[in-house]
Amino acid sequence: MTAETTEIIETAATKSEADQRTERDLAARTAGWRLMVEAVRPQKWWIVVGVASGFIWTLARLAVPQLAARAVDDGIRGDDLHLVLLLTLAMLAVGVVQALTTGLRRYCAFRIALRTETDLRTRLFAHLQRLHFAFHDEAQTGQLMARANSDLQQINTVVILLPLTAASMLTMIGVLIIMMMKSVVLAVLALGLLPLLNRAATRFSSRITPANLALQEELSGLSGVVEESLSGIRILKGFGAERLQVKRLDDAADGVLKQALRAAKLRAGFMPLIDLLPTLSLVAIIWYGGHLVLDGQLEIGDILAYNLYVLMLIWPLRMVGMLVAQSSRASAAAGRIHEILSTDVAVDDPPHPIPLSDGPGNLLFEGVSFGYGPGRLVLDGLNLSIAGGEAVAIVGATGSGKTTVARLVPRFYDANSGRVLLDGVDVRDLRVSELRDAVGIVFEDTFLFSDSIRRNIAFSDPGASIETIERAARLSGIHTFIQSLPQGYETLIGEHGYSLSGGQRQRIAIARAVLHDPRVLILDDATSAVDPSKEHEIRAALAEVMEGRTTLIIAHRPATIALADRVILLDGGRCIASGTHEELLASNERYREILARSDSTESSSLEGSE
Amino acid sequence: MRGGWVESGPLDDESRIDRAAAGRVVLRLGRMLRPQRSAILRAVFLLIFQTAALLASPLVVRYAVDAGLVGKSGRAINIAAVMYLVLAVTSALLGRSVIWAVSRIGEDFLRSLRARVFRHLINLDLGFFEREKTGRLVARMTSDIDALQELVSQGLVMFVQNALIFVGTLVVMSLLSWQLTLCTIIVVPPVIFASLWFRKRSNTAYLEVRDRVGTNLSTLQEGLEGVRVVQAFGREGGFIERFEETNEAQYDANIATVNIATRYFPFVEFIGVVGLAVVVGAGSYFADRNILEVGTVLAFVLYLNNLFEPIQQLSQLYNTVQSAAAALNKLFGLLDTPNSVPEKPGAIDLPLAGALTVSGVTFAYGGGPPDTDGVSHPLGPIVLADVNITVAAGERVALVGPTGAGKSTLAKLMARFYDPIEGDVSFGGVSLRDATRRSLRERIAVVPQEGFLFAGTVRDNIRVGSPEASDADVDAAVDALGLREHFESFPEGLDTEVRERGSRLSAGEKQLVSLARAALADPTVLVLDEATSNLDPGTELEVERALEALTQGRTVIVVAHRLSTAQRCDRVAVVADGHILEIGTHDDLVSRGDAYAALFAAWTRTE
Repeated sequence: MTAETTEIIETAATKSEADQRTERDLAARTAGWRLMVEAVRPQKWWIVVGVASGFIWTLARLAVPQLAARAVDDGIRGDDLHLVLLLTLAMLAVGVVQALTTGLRRYCAFRIALRTETDLRTRLFAHLQRLHFAFHDEAQTGQLMARANSDLQQINTVVILLPLTAASMLTMIGVLIIMMMKSVVLAVLALGLLPLLNRAATRFSSRITPANLALQEELSGLSGVVEESLSGIRILKGFGAERLQVKRLDDAADGVLKQALRAAKLRAGFMPLIDLLPTLSLVAIIWYGGHLVLDGQLEIGDILAYNLYVLMLIWPLRMVGMLVAQSSRASAAAGRIHEILSTDVAVDDPPHPIPLSDGPGNLLFEGVSFGYGPGRLVLDGLNLSIAGGEAVAIVGATGSGKTTVARLVPRFYDANSGRVLLDGVDVRDLRVSELRDAVGIVFEDTFLFSDSIRRNIAFSDPGASIETIERAARLSGIHTFIQSLPQGYETLIGEHGYSLSGGQRQRIAIARAVLHDPRVLILDDATSAVDPSKEHEIRAALAEVMEGRTTLIIAHRPATIALADRVILLDGGRCIASGTHEELLASNERYREILARSDSTESSSLEGSE
Repeated sequence: MRGGWVESGPLDDESRIDRAAAGRVVLRLGRMLRPQRSAILRAVFLLIFQTAALLASPLVVRYAVDAGLVGKSGRAINIAAVMYLVLAVTSALLGRSVIWAVSRIGEDFLRSLRARVFRHLINLDLGFFEREKTGRLVARMTSDIDALQELVSQGLVMFVQNALIFVGTLVVMSLLSWQLTLCTIIVVPPVIFASLWFRKRSNTAYLEVRDRVGTNLSTLQEGLEGVRVVQAFGREGGFIERFEETNEAQYDANIATVNIATRYFPFVEFIGVVGLAVVVGAGSYFADRNILEVGTVLAFVLYLNNLFEPIQQLSQLYNTVQSAAAALNKLFGLLDTPNSVPEKPGAIDLPLAGALTVSGVTFAYGGGPPDTDGVSHPLGPIVLADVNITVAAGERVALVGPTGAGKSTLAKLMARFYDPIEGDVSFGGVSLRDATRRSLRERIAVVPQEGFLFAGTVRDNIRVGSPEASDADVDAAVDALGLREHFESFPEGLDTEVRERGSRLSAGEKQLVSLARAALADPTVLVLDEATSNLDPGTELEVERALEALTQGRTVIVVAHRLSTAQRCDRVAVVADGHILEIGTHDDLVSRGDAYAALFAAWTRTE
């Protein structure tokens, strides 16, 4: 193939890639619209009420200027003041209708939008809670938070704007018809300029948005200088170098000033223009309409009514532009939400689950291969058999797959090939909830919830009795500490609560797993943050906990490894040796090497952990 | 706009301000704005003219109706149309100038306010920064000034103009027909009361929304961050239920705001129709009685809008104005915070060299002026009591002792981060209190233990202490410490951006930058606070070597955590319980067999 043809094919490829991207974008937006329609559908009765009241409201609103016009005309002719009184009363009556319907239509619009937003948020959260680990490994919490927060708000706004804008459009059509019936020329003169108002408003917002963004950026640059100066205050003071940051701040403040003035210039240019355009319509009505009155084709009251109509249309016209911009934002937002909702739960119940019968907790890995992504396999044909009630330590260098072994048991991930069996049943044939009931895990990075200690320990069984909770805490060597707290088990922990040390957190996490009372217990580096001097306390307790359960211990401290009956040495995704700690220490060079290495990294990372 | 949206955020207790304080804020603001008074005067004139043009338009309509339509004069209609057009265009042009003028004044003011607050802040004593939370101080410079920015860019013109329009309209209406004005004015109080009610209620409701949104977001975040634990224990259902609760609570709070708006907006709309009905009904009656012409009725209809919108707008802008005033109040509070280690009037430069003498120094933290919240901090326990020590020129002294014994405090006093309560610190015979700030920092520099880096290149960071230094000076300082090779191993050598991804500097490297900084500043006296934690093994040796080079030939006071550092110094002072227990050379103190010997023995065991 010549270089030229390669190039042509490559450009073609990039082009089609770009096409695909816009196609994908379009498809996402379409899916977004479909999602919004589907989410709004349960509100159909509110929609009917809202639309109906919007329609009546429009009619009432159009009627008021007409009544006012007739009253003025009657007043001028002065023949029948009774009629003026009647018309005035009619205006008040119509006013009541207008007020009631406007209340109703607004309430419906906001209610529908809020309901839609709230329902979608619950749906999104529920789906996220069920999505498999691999999804969460890829996703960033901040991004998901944005889906559930700002993206949903975009949808909310468009759902509010839609009916409000529809009623405004209806008003506009009504006004147009009323004016056209009297004089087409006047209607064109009076209303012809108003679309320009829409144009100007849209143009303004498209120009001011980047200006405001640039201003925001300058402001965040400025706050960066402030934050940095305060964080580094000791250095500035130490060298008397305050003037350096003063200069930086001056520069940042100049940047802010420049962008702020740029935005101000735009506002100064557009805002008076946006105010001017409707006034030009009023001028047209006075001038052309005035001459029509002189010709006898129009009443003075009509001039009044037209004035009122033009004033009525100012906001609706601005809103149309808003709706267009908002629709585009909302459909993109809904597309992103749809993408999450349409992600299938990879780890789910099988169609015909086999009930898990009682068993000792035998674990069997048969030729298990697994990789976190395409490419490198972390486990490569692993064969492993662990008898019920046995305590096994899994040891290996970083990346040897020891944590992965533990994660395949409760089906946090599914093996690419091979099988994991619990008491003779492939874990994929079990109901997920039943499987996870039988397996308890203490994670390496301890996550506790912002809640009381009691509820954190009783996480898997919120109804657990206080005796059960205390027993779990005692077994994890944390009961005495909890009791020493002024509020004991009710002490709130987490972001706004009592702050615990790493070791205390780990021990609460162990208590949480103990309370779960699983058949298979997995301790994933669960005592790494526990102070070595205190570790012996929970080691004794752990031995009691492990009694009668199958236990997988992932650890690198010899003291923790010593808890196990047997050590399995992993390397390159396979089991390369198995035996007691002493046996391996004596016979296996690689084992000694790994222990020595982890020992040195540990002692350096120990500083400040508790 | 007329929707359920509130332009300015809800007002919480933080952003409220009482009347007396508001008065003081306004007066002081007036004083600060005095240099700009001619520009302000010009803007006010423009604004008045623009408002006058707006108010004149309905009068033109009145003329068109009375002289043109009723008086059957096509010429009058043409004149009126031209006048209307001229007024509209004039008003637009004036409006443009007004917005520009007010923005210019406001933004310039903000620019100078930012600079002024920051200059004041950054020059305050270190004690101030140790008392105050960094977040709060950042908020002064960001969200507080932003609240003012919002007022300047969005609210100020509208606020003044709406007030002018409202009053102007009432005046013009009364001049046209006091009878019809009396009838019309009855609609004003309900709108005012309704708007006040709405502002108050919706403010409370929006605060509630803000709270519940916060709670809901934390549940959400926790659910996402803890999803692995939730799934491991099969608690998805329980957690979804918990989220549903906070999510529904957010919905309820939102609906509460909708309910408030659902009462307010229809009511205002209704009063609008009532106003129209009154003007038209009473107007027609008065016209029939020949009390007024029909043109006046039309003018009144147009003026009605001028009464309604300002009330609503003003009540909406109230929050913006209130937050801005509260923000200014806080900023003024900061500007009023005095420096507790000020430069004396008539301060003199410290001599170029000399001994650093601490004589009879007693010190306790606290007791300074109240902080920016007005909370005063009483004098704490005595940290140093009657301490005496003299460090000769070129001598290296290590301060050792248990945590909290006062050794860091002593070091800070020696650099005048604080002034002692009793006694004095002097350099070359001049009390630090009498020294100019500039000469003080040129002679005595402090290198803190954490190697904080500012945005910019490695070179910029080395230059922090001496901004005027040339590139060659920087190179020389780096060479003097033998660090050239290390820094040149960075992707772009000394010009590597320190904050960029991929060029993260290790803790040890940060220390190296910090030492190079000190070498470049080239002070006579160096106060070092040694890092407590171990550095990465790779750079530890290099740090030690650089430190050795840096301290060569200087007077050095080092707060030592590792006794190996103390060992290398000329003399060691053991600080405990606010006193200097022992002082002497390392060997003397070890052989004396007292406190230092015990410390040293314990240290050699663990190391």
